[in-house]
Amino acid sequence: MTKRISNFKRFVMMNPIIQFFKFIILSIKVLLIVAGGHGGTREVTK
Amino acid sequence: MAKIVILGAGISGHVAASHLRRKLDKTHEVVVVSPNRNYQWIPSNIWVGIGRMKSKEILFPLAPLYKKKGIGFKQAKVTSFYPEGDINEAKPYVLAEYVVGEEKGRQEKITYDYLINATGPKLNFEATEGLNPGTNKAYSVCTYTHADHANEGLQSLIEEMKQGKEARIVIGTGHAKATCQGAAFEYILNVEQELRRQKVRDKAKITWISNEYELGDFGMDGMLLSYGSNIMKSHEMVEMVFEDRGIDWILGAGVNKIEDGLAHYETLSGEQNSIEYDFAMLIPSFSGHGFKAFDKNNQDITEKLFKGFMIVDADYSPKPYEEWTVQDWPETYQNPNYKNIFAPGIAFAPPHSISKPRKSPNGTEIFPAPPRTGMPSGITAKLVADNIIDSIKNKNESLHHKGSMGNMGAACIASAGFGMTKGSGVSITTFPIVPDYKKYPDTQGRKLGKTFGEIGLAGHWLKLMLHYAFIYKAKMKPFWYLIPE
Repeated sequence: MTKRISNFKRFVMMNPIIQFFKFIILSIKVLLIVAGGHGGTREVTK
Repeated sequence: MAKIVILGAGISGHVAASHLRRKLDKTHEVVVVSPNRNYQWIPSNIWVGIGRMKSKEILFPLAPLYKKKGIGFKQAKVTSFYPEGDINEAKPYVLAEYVVGEEKGRQEKITYDYLINATGPKLNFEATEGLNPGTNKAYSVCTYTHADHANEGLQSLIEEMKQGKEARIVIGTGHAKATCQGAAFEYILNVEQELRRQKVRDKAKITWISNEYELGDFGMDGMLLSYGSNIMKSHEMVEMVFEDRGIDWILGAGVNKIEDGLAHYETLSGEQNSIEYDFAMLIPSFSGHGFKAFDKNNQDITEKLFKGFMIVDADYSPKPYEEWTVQDWPETYQNPNYKNIFAPGIAFAPPHSISKPRKSPNGTEIFPAPPRTGMPSGITAKLVADNIIDSIKNKNESLHHKGSMGNMGAACIASAGFGMTKGSGVSITTFPIVPDYKKYPDTQGRKLGKTFGEIGLAGHWLKLMLHYAFIYKAKMKPFWYLIPE
């Protein structure tokens, strides 16, 4: 086991108050990406 | 009046059926044909596989819901396709065989005006000798029954570890061309956390085995992503998580044989190796279901519909990796030969892999097949349903709704441990799913702001919220359609 995540970072990752705000931001970001539209990639030539 | 038949009641089939029923009036018939009696929310199987969720929490029976909503349901499996009908039946149909009850074994010609093939993949365990869930100490979490078995195996090992047994756990892919690395990634992190929770972590050596060339490939050729204020590659992020959790890894490994507690694999360098284990969870390869198709004269026309999976509007012409483009990927999921047949979700044949193809010196192809997870499955099913609805309402073929995986985002909220305060999640979003190297040449084919990674408790809460939201949506409760796919 190699410590790759610092104590401070781990605290941020697991602190419920900080993570509550992260949760709100993350939910909005994911929603924007998923519901933000999709489409084709081919040019239509008529 | 139109009759739309949907084969399969997984994420894709169920999404298509529910949108069709909501938007079409009752003069049109919507029929689902599936051998499964339950709907299951597959992404939560990993929690069933560690015993933190019961399988009944991730499923519900389809028949009562479909009856209530006016959707026809036949618990049957399709065996062959007749897209031109036959000498006795003028309409196109599929031949299905009932799998339960008094009708078990009876065959029926199910005619249609539009057909949606949402049969997903066949879990091709046979492709790896000895890989059969629940035997040889190797398990799967691909279905809720598999996940239940995996949990039984894991808990039994944990009990032995509490008595002092030192154990080796191997999790990853069980075939040289398996996909769905994301599910295995979630499972290995959840198992690791479960061992810590049960205070036996020090007794276990945990190993990731995968056909990926690099960690974090996930069948998508890896990705460059923003992580906090940094920009890093997905392999760096996964490496950080694995090292921090004490998980070691074997990459470029094509597992080809399983014996009792022993997995044999070939590496990309051509070596034949093996690894012993006390518990393994290995994802099998996926394949098509082996359907046959016939024309009206009963001549075999399978190659017009299938190429393993179903042929759709993709560019299947063989070309080298360097010439692959996002334009090769389908947009409408319509079969080019029979325009009233569609195959969204996992049922369509991908034009090629997304990860770079690699071969061992022995000629064995070892690289992940392209993943097509719940989110794109739902999106493609909805756009297929919308095109059919428009075509019916306009009385003319309409294909305005398009959704290429080269112009679609996806979020992989990977659970890294269960618990309201102790849980964790590795959230990775990517846009687009198939990298567009022309549009985003400096960021490995993806848009950076929309391709990001995040690790922490919030990820677990989000995955849990999605679990409840999507089961609510699947049960078609009030305003279900406001929840995006």
